[in-house]
Amino acid sequence: MKRPLAYTIKIGFLAIATLLVNACSNDHTLSNLDATVFVRHKGADMPAYIKGNANEKIFLITLHGGPGGLGLGFRGNAFNQIEDNYGVVYFDQRGSGMSQGNYSEDDVTIDVMAEDVLALVKVIKRIYGNDSRFFLLGHSWGGALGPATLLKDQSEFLGWINVDGSHNPKDLYFEYIRNFERVAAAQIELGNSVPFWESVYDELDKVDADEVSLDDFAILNTLAFDAEEYLNDDGIINNAENGNVKVSDYNVLTFIWNLLKIQSILDEDIIGELSFTERLSEITIPSLILWGRHDMVVPEFYAQEAFDNLGSSEKKFVFFEGSGHAPMFTEPNQFAEEVIQFMNQNK
Amino acid sequence: MRRKLRLLLLCLFLFTIFSYGQIKSKSQTTNTELPESFLDRTEFKVGFVGTVFWSNGLSVGAEYLWKENEKTKTRNDKERTNTHQFLFNGNLGFVTNFSSKTDTGAYTNFGLTWRRTNKKGKQFSIELNPLGYYRSFLPETYEVNGDSVDKVFLPGRGYYAPSLSIGIGKQRKGKVRSGSYFNINYTMRTPYNSGALPTFSLQYGFRFNFKNKKQ
Repeated sequence: MKRPLAYTIKIGFLAIATLLVNACSNDHTLSNLDATVFVRHKGADMPAYIKGNANEKIFLITLHGGPGGLGLGFRGNAFNQIEDNYGVVYFDQRGSGMSQGNYSEDDVTIDVMAEDVLALVKVIKRIYGNDSRFFLLGHSWGGALGPATLLKDQSEFLGWINVDGSHNPKDLYFEYIRNFERVAAAQIELGNSVPFWESVYDELDKVDADEVSLDDFAILNTLAFDAEEYLNDDGIINNAENGNVKVSDYNVLTFIWNLLKIQSILDEDIIGELSFTERLSEITIPSLILWGRHDMVVPEFYAQEAFDNLGSSEKKFVFFEGSGHAPMFTEPNQFAEEVIQFMNQNK
Repeated sequence: MRRKLRLLLLCLFLFTIFSYGQIKSKSQTTNTELPESFLDRTEFKVGFVGTVFWSNGLSVGAEYLWKENEKTKTRNDKERTNTHQFLFNGNLGFVTNFSSKTDTGAYTNFGLTWRRTNKKGKQFSIELNPLGYYRSFLPETYEVNGDSVDKVFLPGRGYYAPSLSIGIGKQRKGKVRSGSYFNINYTMRTPYNSGALPTFSLQYGFRFNFKNKKQ
């Protein structure tokens, strides 16, 4: 009786030890990075998934949308091509994805989240050396967090890439209404998905057109994603290629809980409140603005606004004619080409 | 008037149903005399724990029989005897996500289990563990304080993690492998990202009573 029990205990310990080793191992080979490193900062433990080819010690730090999106959500054909050329850091922001920690709701501000990004830079320098260099890319909400980070310290970055980024959520509510009216009129005239676009007018009648309402913002935001689906059905937006994020990478329940929690904390401070438009002129590093022409979630108006206000002497603006809010999935080759070219020119 | 009549008829109907039930169903409860020996009253358990998609692991534990009674019910001239048990319960588990390195942890919890076993050995149990602790294990972690960046030794975080499991099982009387169980478990981890994270998992495994072999 004693021997089988002893064996069972040994096997159990061996299994746990194997699992622990698997859970903690990382590959920091610069030419083929595959590492998951946590950044502990101000009560939060945030995973950074470091991948790609960093032979030149150049890293592209990506800021996901949301708030509450997934760091690895960028992965797909476009980012595979970028990974072939540079190191890419996918980062689950505070309160997002598989981030964990113990902090109060007061510690969830865009200010602290920007400091988290700068903390990430310090960690990468610690691992790969002080000669590491960085580009920053923000998509959607990441387009607000990016400027917030750069306005704290842009000296660490060689360039800023704004992908359909929301640098001005203060005015987004009213721009949604204006953009829906504009696009609905154009689509009805073209005879595309007429019942849907007519129903958009009905939805617009229901929302408060004079004052920002969080509930109405949620309706308009959802409607914007729906609208992109109809634009896709009508062949205006290309079909999106599948991303590389695996179902097993993120516990869906944890992700959803984090998403709802972080949005419930941040939305009041962002929607109708936050704007970096006036301060974009302080960002002087080379900048690249990539935008889906038919973006309904952060409409194209903001692409021009970002370009006009950025203080960079070297800036470029690219519209993706067959894309909505996610050009990295709808025009991945052109997207990767633009990003790699920008990094090549400014490294 | 019509409404009152309906209400009266409903009351009469319910009265009839319950009266009939009382005549037909008689129950009798007998407390079972439990063995003195600790091992006789203790079952050890080992099994799978996890969500299949995102985390998989191993759980070991023990259950100490605290109280037991037999309830005999007569319904429709058929006698049914169910055993009801209260058990002290303790678990130790380890889970990980083989796909990512972001969801690894160990836990321990303690509490009370209520279990009903029918004549065929089929079981239903509710396990409440108010004392629970979950420790996450993170891969390479660096702590940033101002300009200083330090590697963290044995990184991870501890959470208060009470849990509730509801499940079914099968008893094998007199056997060393004395039963099996399948539970759905709800565990809360708090404080987690300025709140309390709800988690769900499945538990499947076997119970052992090593004293049974000697009988």
